[in-house]
Amino acid sequence: MRDPDRDDLVMSFEDRLREWSRRSPNLPTSIARTRVLARLPEVSRPVPWLRLAAAAALVVVLVVAVWRGSPRPAGEVKGSIAWNCPPPLDRNIVVWQLDDRTTVYFALRPGEPDKGGVS
Amino acid sequence: MALVGVDTTTADLVRTALEGDRDAFGVLVESHWDRLVRLARSVVGDAEAEDVVQDSLVVAWTRLARLSDPQSFGPWVSRIVFRRCLRASRRQRGRVSLDAVPEPSRWCDPEVSVSAWQVLARLAPRQSAVLHLTAVEGMTDAEIARILGITPASVRAHRRRARAGVARIVRGGTS
Repeated sequence: MRDPDRDDLVMSFEDRLREWSRRSPNLPTSIARTRVLARLPEVSRPVPWLRLAAAAALVVVLVVAVWRGSPRPAGEVKGSIAWNCPPPLDRNIVVWQLDDRTTVYFALRPGEPDKGGVS
Repeated sequence: MALVGVDTTTADLVRTALEGDRDAFGVLVESHWDRLVRLARSVVGDAEAEDVVQDSLVVAWTRLARLSDPQSFGPWVSRIVFRRCLRASRRQRGRVSLDAVPEPSRWCDPEVSVSAWQVLARLAPRQSAVLHLTAVEGMTDAEIARILGITPASVRAHRRRARAGVARIVRGGTS
């Protein structure tokens, strides 16, 4: 079996390949340089600290988004009514403590059942 | 020692170009242009080689920040050129006119212009590149592997197939 690495034809071809490759490019180096430089786009290369700041901002946004989206413990619910009913001051007074700052008193007048009172 | 100096200069130019200095990149273009065109010619032929290299250098500029080792600009940009050659050769497949290869006995005849391209165009692009980087640039298998993105063992396999292909083409005048 012939070893292509030692084939005279291949060696001869490789000599020809070297000769063929020695030709200068059609475009002289200086003109090639000018043409390539004219085609270079503006590339913004952010400095590292700018990248770090962007990454930190992204982390903050993610943390806030996750926090806002997660369910909260019942005690932290705002805007909803906590149906806390302390013992009434009087038989006909009902107190609803909606939150720490809001207490609602209902005074029930006897003898007026048609108006919501206690009969 | 001279090689160290050359490498240092290349690394410095790459670092300066990374800061946006186009002139530094221009020096890199000038120092690599001939070598890159030679490689591209062996893979896509004369007609497209210089356009492919110009495109590749523009791509290299936009990706310069990804070059981890500035000293390895040469192999890195060669790899970009080779990849774009692969794309170009896929486009031109079937469009290349392959004239008959003259008899080997007439290769030394000055009236017979045997272009190496007539043979290379019949080989697979990777085989042409391996043959070029071996015979023309005198690179080691490891260096070639780095440019082509394959293993040194694959480089040897491609070279064996390329040489067998050349022998077959030259003897038979067909692929």
